[in-house]
Amino acid sequence: MKKNDYYEYSMTTDILHGTGSLRELPLLMTECRIKKPLVVTDRGIVGAGLLTPLLDNLPAEADPVVFDEVPPDSDRLLVNKIARLYRDGSCDGIIALGGGSVLDTAKGVNLVASLKADDIIDYAGAGTIAEELNPLIAVPTTSGTGSEVTLVAVIADHEIKRKMLFTSNFLQPRAALLDSRFTLTLPPHITAACAMDALCHACEAVYGLARNPFSEAAAVEAVSLIVKHLPAVLREPEKESGRLALAQAATLAGAAFSNSMVGMAHSIGHSLGSVCKVPHAAAMAVLLPHAMQYNMEKADEYIARLLEPLTGYSATAGTNVRSRALGAVTAVREFNADLRELTGGRHATRLGEILNREGECLIHRDRFREVAETTLGDGSIIYNNCELDFDEILQVLEQAW
Amino acid sequence: MKISHIIGNIYLEILLFVVGRALAAASRVSSDVREEVKRLPEGMVLLLQVLPSGPSMAIKKENGLLHYLGRNSGDRQPTVLMNVKNREAALLLLTFRESTALATAHDRILVRGNIPDLMTVIRILNLVEVLLLPRFIAKMAVKRYPRKKIRGRVRVYSRVLLGIG
Repeated sequence: MKKNDYYEYSMTTDILHGTGSLRELPLLMTECRIKKPLVVTDRGIVGAGLLTPLLDNLPAEADPVVFDEVPPDSDRLLVNKIARLYRDGSCDGIIALGGGSVLDTAKGVNLVASLKADDIIDYAGAGTIAEELNPLIAVPTTSGTGSEVTLVAVIADHEIKRKMLFTSNFLQPRAALLDSRFTLTLPPHITAACAMDALCHACEAVYGLARNPFSEAAAVEAVSLIVKHLPAVLREPEKESGRLALAQAATLAGAAFSNSMVGMAHSIGHSLGSVCKVPHAAAMAVLLPHAMQYNMEKADEYIARLLEPLTGYSATAGTNVRSRALGAVTAVREFNADLRELTGGRHATRLGEILNREGECLIHRDRFREVAETTLGDGSIIYNNCELDFDEILQVLEQAW
Repeated sequence: MKISHIIGNIYLEILLFVVGRALAAASRVSSDVREEVKRLPEGMVLLLQVLPSGPSMAIKKENGLLHYLGRNSGDRQPTVLMNVKNREAALLLLTFRESTALATAHDRILVRGNIPDLMTVIRILNLVEVLLLPRFIAKMAVKRYPRKKIRGRVRVYSRVLLGIG
């Protein structure tokens, strides 16, 4: 066996993409053999009126069980609770409608319900699932997480203040339904942060330790789509084609990182999420350029490949080969700055700019040591190209502050 | 079985034995390793094995130190399981031509158990490789050779050879 020539790539999710693709749901359910679905969503989705069209498109005889109270920081206890609802309701499949928290919660519920487990914690880590799970149809509403196609679920354990990683090919949803109607109402600053989450997935997939050609192809396309369509969507939020392009980009980036994993931006971001309750996407937007710069020491060749999808052919051709990696970092910083302007200052470009609903800063610097300690235990840190110790994590946090 | 396979298996048996004993020894003599061991829960049991039925080694944490359990964990259920998928992958890893991180990234290792504990175990393995190996080999086995000197090499070697702790 040669060094460096082996990788695995898995992508088993059917993708139904296009405006009005929700119409395909009844046929999809028949193909998946779902007769009595558990619909998992959150109050925000219900409030935005997005659950109704989904329920209206279910077959008349479906008789769904609906759980619509997934919080933004869902955790393992809730996953176990919803799984009991699934079993008590004699459900035979799940339809997940929402963003990352909803989709990952649904994956966790599917795991617990399918394997008749008591607690999802028994399946933490990689390679712990040995059999196929029940069908899960993912309907993303945020264009960021990519969870609709990934083999990963990130679920918090609030008791130990940590996000647990679950990875298995069996966690990939059976189908993903990308319909622009579900992202049209997303506010501009959330649209921007989610797209930056997808951009972060794509970039870390390109230069991470587990990079592979299939992931890179999908990731590079995702970066191009985001750079081209995100500013246009922020200027014109109801532009369906742009929304659909962002949904497609998020799914491509999801397929990419699902197979190449992610690096230090996510390691630190997960920890900021579990320690300071920072929204994942906002943390990713801030941390991505710092993570790229940190990894330039070992991965400049791969980071340089991101310059063309970020800035276009002409700008890349006009940049010295040795300066392209730094050019890519600068392009991401400038893109973040543009997004801040386009969202009226609501898109965070520094950790200190990430605010809660009351306008207060979510992150306190005195918690950086706790964040750094948690980061050392995050599973994605192993996929980061450059070694990262406690003090270096603190330095990155200070730089991002 | 080919002669090269037999030699390979013997090499892996010896290496896993040495690494197991070195982990236990390093937790006693190296302050850097002890700092990492502190992060592991008492009772943690690591089983590192080569699939499908290759050599293996197990360690546990007890009273703040690592203990080498031998080829398997006996009646103790492993809390962290590292399965190297095949003999060739194990040879790449244990001839130190590929780091644990790279082997994981290249899908050569299946892991199971608490991820933070696994990350700590990988950092400890890195430190032990730095302690056991000459610098030019250790540089291939870790993402980054430590900037500061990791002390205790002679004492780890002595303990491995004499079978102390």
